[in-house]
Amino acid sequence: MTRLWQAALLLFALVAIYLLPGTLKNYGVYIVTLWSVYVIAGMGLNLTVGYAGQISLGQAAFWGIGAYTTAIALKAGLPFFAALPLSAALCFGVGLLLGFPALRVQHHYLAFATLGFNVLVFLAFRNEDWLTGGTFGINNIPRPILFGWRLRAPLDFFHLTWIATVVMGALMALLLRSPWGRAFAALRDNPIRAESVGIDTTFYTLLAFAIGAAYAGVAGAFFAPLVGFIEPAPFAVTTSLSMLLMVIAGGSGRLFGPAIGAIVVVLLPEWLRFAAEWYLAIFGVLIVVMMVWLPGGLLSIPDRLRAARVLK
Amino acid sequence: MLSRRTTLLLGTAALAVPQTSFAADDIKIIDNVELSGTGVTSGSMWQQGVDLAVKEVNAAGGILGRKIAIQHQDNQSQAQIAKAVATKAVDNEPYVMLGPIFSGDVNVSMAVGEDAETPTLMGGEAANLTQQGMKYLFRTSFSQSSAMPKVANYLQKTGVKSVAMVWIANDFGKGGRDTMAKELNARGIKIVADISTEPGQLDYSAVVVNIAKAPADALFAYMNEEESARFLIALRKLGYTKPIIGETVLASQRVIELAGPAANGVKAHVGLSVDAPNPLVQEYARKFKAAYNVASDHNGIKGYTAIYLIKAVTEKMGKFDRKLFASTLHGASFSAKDHPGLLMDVSFDANGDLDRESYLVEVKDGKQTITETLPPLGKK
Repeated sequence: MTRLWQAALLLFALVAIYLLPGTLKNYGVYIVTLWSVYVIAGMGLNLTVGYAGQISLGQAAFWGIGAYTTAIALKAGLPFFAALPLSAALCFGVGLLLGFPALRVQHHYLAFATLGFNVLVFLAFRNEDWLTGGTFGINNIPRPILFGWRLRAPLDFFHLTWIATVVMGALMALLLRSPWGRAFAALRDNPIRAESVGIDTTFYTLLAFAIGAAYAGVAGAFFAPLVGFIEPAPFAVTTSLSMLLMVIAGGSGRLFGPAIGAIVVVLLPEWLRFAAEWYLAIFGVLIVVMMVWLPGGLLSIPDRLRAARVLK
Repeated sequence: MLSRRTTLLLGTAALAVPQTSFAADDIKIIDNVELSGTGVTSGSMWQQGVDLAVKEVNAAGGILGRKIAIQHQDNQSQAQIAKAVATKAVDNEPYVMLGPIFSGDVNVSMAVGEDAETPTLMGGEAANLTQQGMKYLFRTSFSQSSAMPKVANYLQKTGVKSVAMVWIANDFGKGGRDTMAKELNARGIKIVADISTEPGQLDYSAVVVNIAKAPADALFAYMNEEESARFLIALRKLGYTKPIIGETVLASQRVIELAGPAANGVKAHVGLSVDAPNPLVQEYARKFKAAYNVASDHNGIKGYTAIYLIKAVTEKMGKFDRKLFASTLHGASFSAKDHPGLLMDVSFDANGDLDRESYLVEVKDGKQTITETLPPLGKK
C-alpha cells in the first residue's frame, strides 16, 4: 500500500511540476526550466559521485561540451533531435576517457585531475575561435522544432525539457535498480571487496564517468537553446563546484537528491532576491549552516528524524 | 516519505517566485547589473551613478511630474542569470531597462528587451552589440569601433610605426583587440607582439619580459580595471620605458587608485572622464564624491547620464511610450545646455550607437590630465 501511495505521490508531483509553470510569468518559467536542466546534469554527477563514489569536479566541462555541440549543430541546420543524441554520445566518449585517471587515483587527487580537465576544456572553448566563437560565444541559438512546430514559447520549451528530465530520471532509476546500480554501490563502499566478488571495477569506474558525462551532455543540449547564447564562462570550474554542491546539498547517493539540490543552487538565490544586496551573503550563510547540520543533504532529514525517534 | 517531501519542496519553490511592487504612478525602471562576480567593479559604479541621478531627478519633481522607481537586480556577471533578470524585468513591464555592462550579458538580455519592445540603455562597449539590427538597444558610451580609430589616429600622429598589444581574453578585450588590429593595419602600423592575458591574472612578469623583447615603438594595453592596475605595476617594476597607450580603462580613476604611481605617464583616449574640462562634468564629479566618498569613473557617468537621457527623451515626446521612445532616440541629438544632466552634447545614430566629444589624457602625479579634446566623429 505504501509503495502504491509513493507511486501516486510521485506521479502527482511530476504532473504538478509539468502544469505549475502554466501559472507563472516568463521569468518563473525560465527559472524552472533552468532548474530542470540543472537536475539532468545533477543526476549524472550523482551517479558518478553519490553512487559510484568517484569525486568529479569536471561536470561543467561535459555540460559545456553538450551545449557547444548542440549549438554548433543547430547553427549548422541539424535538427535538435539529432543534436541531442550527438551531444550525449560525445560526452559519453569523453567521459570514458576521463575515467582512466580515476583508475589510478582516488579522492582529492581525482578531484584535481578532473578539475584540470575542466580548465582544459574551458580553454578550448575560449581559444578555438573557429569552432566555438571564442570569448564572443555563439549567439541566436534557435529553439527546437517539433513536428514543424517551433518551441519558441517559453512554456512549450519547458514542457519539452521537463519531459526529458522525467525520462532521464526514469532511466537513472532503472539503471540503479539493475545489477549495474548495485555494482556501482559496491565500488563506492569497498572497491577491493567488490573486485573479490567478481565485479569488474575498471569497467564500472569508466562507466560511472561516461554515463554521468552523458547526462551532462543532455543537460547542455537543453541549456544552449534555453539561454539562446553560450560563451565559455558558464562552463568554468565554479559551475562544477555548484553542481557538486547541488548533489551534496540534496543528498548524495539519493535518487531525488539532485532535484532538491538544484532548488538550493538555482531557485534559492532567486528566491532570496527580496533581500536586495544581501541575497548572496544570506545564500552563503545558509549553505554553511546546512553543511554543518545536514552533511547528508536535505533528503537525510527524514532519516535523522527517524533516528532521533529511535534514540528516545 | 521522500516523494511527499519532494512534492512539497518543489511545489513551494516553483510558486515562490518573488514579485516586485511598484506604486501605480511611478515610472518603473529596472537595472540588470553586475553587482557580484567578475563585473562587480564596473557594476557598482554604474549603480551608484544611476542612484545619484534618480535622487536628483525625483527631488526636482520627476519626469513629466512622475517619480522614478528604480530597482537594481544583480545578474552575477553570468549570461544565464542576466537573461533571467531581463525576463523578470519585462514581466514587470518597465518603462526602460538599464544594463547590463558586460557584453556577454548584454548579448542575452537585448533579445529579451527586443521581444518585449522595451528600450534598453546598456553599458557594453563591444562593437558587435549594435550591429545586429536591434531596434530597442542603446549605448551609454562609445562602441569600440568608434573609440579605436581615435587611438590609432593618435599613434599615427605621434610617429609610432610598431606596437606591442596586450589584451585580456574576454569578449571586451578580444573585441577591442580585433578592432584595434584592423585600425592599426589600415594605418600601416605593425603589430610586433600580440599577447593575451587571463581575466583575474595576478602575475604579469612573463608578459612584461616578452613585451620588452619586442621591437615596438609603443605599447597598447586593453584590459579591465584590476588587471590593468596589476599590469602597470609589473611594467614599472621591471623598468619598462616606452610609451604606454590605452583606451578609457587604462587611465580611469579606479586604475589610477589601484596602481598608484605606476599609472603615471600612461596616455589614453578617454570617452568619459570626471576630469574633463567641462563644468557640468566637474560638478557631477563633486556630487558623486560627496555622496559616496569615492571618485566616479566612466561607468558612474554612464549610469548617471542614462537616467538623464530617459528624462530628455521623454520630455521631448511629452508622454510615456516605449515604442516611441526608441524611434525618438534613433537619430536624436541633445545638447548639454538644454539638458545639463547629460553632461555633454550627445547624438544617437540609427543603430543606437552614440557620438560625443572625447579626450586624450595623460596620467600625471596620480591625476588624469586632459591633453587634447577630440570633437565628435560626426563633426570632423
